[in-house]
Amino acid sequence: MKTVAEILKEIRPEFDFAASTDFIADGMLDSFDVVTLVAALDKNFGISIQGVDIVPENFKNHETIEVLLRKNGVTR
Amino acid sequence: MQPVDAIDQIFTAIQRIKSNAPAFCTNFFPVPQKLQNWVEHGELFYEHRAEAAFFFRKDHDFWRAYFCAANAETLKRELIALPDAKSKPLVMDIIEREAALDSMLPNLESAGFRLYARLRRLARLNPPDSKVPAIGELQPDYASANDAGSILSLLDTSFDRYAEQLPAAYEVEAAINNRQILVMKHLQKIAALLFFETQGVASAIRYWVVAEEFRSLRYGSALMRAYLAANAAVRRFNLWVRADNQSAILRYQHYGYDTDGLVDHVLVNEMIRK
Repeated sequence: MKTVAEILKEIRPEFDFAASTDFIADGMLDSFDVVTLVAALDKNFGISIQGVDIVPENFKNHETIEVLLRKNGVTR
Repeated sequence: MQPVDAIDQIFTAIQRIKSNAPAFCTNFFPVPQKLQNWVEHGELFYEHRAEAAFFFRKDHDFWRAYFCAANAETLKRELIALPDAKSKPLVMDIIEREAALDSMLPNLESAGFRLYARLRRLARLNPPDSKVPAIGELQPDYASANDAGSILSLLDTSFDRYAEQLPAAYEVEAAINNRQILVMKHLQKIAALLFFETQGVASAIRYWVVAEEFRSLRYGSALMRAYLAANAAVRRFNLWVRADNQSAILRYQHYGYDTDGLVDHVLVNEMIRK
């Protein structure tokens, strides 16, 4: 199973996600990337992130993504 | 088809389709701010079907169609049964990886849509230590409010309204206010423009055009150099270009852009003729 950091690196290898606290405002993820990320998270963790949760606030940084994963029952 | 009054309606509709749909498919990548603008301007409508949700945005004299469906086969079935697909001129963008094995195109073509154009995404990476192209003698300006009409006119005559997502007047006005349109003027007339959107370390060119009578005056080059210099902190530059516009692709390659593997298939229904 991949980590969130590895998935982000696959989607946008040119960016240093560790250096950002807001991937959306910093331009590291656009709307297409977010949908790609949702599909990758769904597949990787065997979950189905809800449509109402596909909003920028949930993909701002590693912490908000982890909260979203926990909400979907992912425990690590 | 009913008007969307609030953004929540969209997310609720997406969720209804997405739940328990592992092969969920969509061409809808909504950005909340853009959605809000569409809702406020009364441009966005929706249609709920049993296994799909469709959204329609008014654009010029046609509609841009977006979908969320449980899977590609369901999408085809629901599209065939959708009355609006036969009575309204529809344009649909499908963004995929090039040569995607699970392409949605065959299902959409079976549902009565045909390929109208194909766009490629080009990207230019800009590592922190890279050089910014030198600015020449020609100095572009940022567009002012008085330029809005001329900008819209130049865009309308230079780009394909089905394939290239032309902006509404309010979008041009907002872009001018946000200093996102660089222009070159020739005797007070707008001869060329570069319309861009920068967000953090990413920037996208929406349109770069020189009016036909002003070509070979190096206005396009001046705009691109000024744009790159003004966005030196950007790490990734993007744009979409028609795959058949080889001369434009060559120009972008000259400035360091290259294909990044994403394609946008622009499909139209039978209500739109060639």
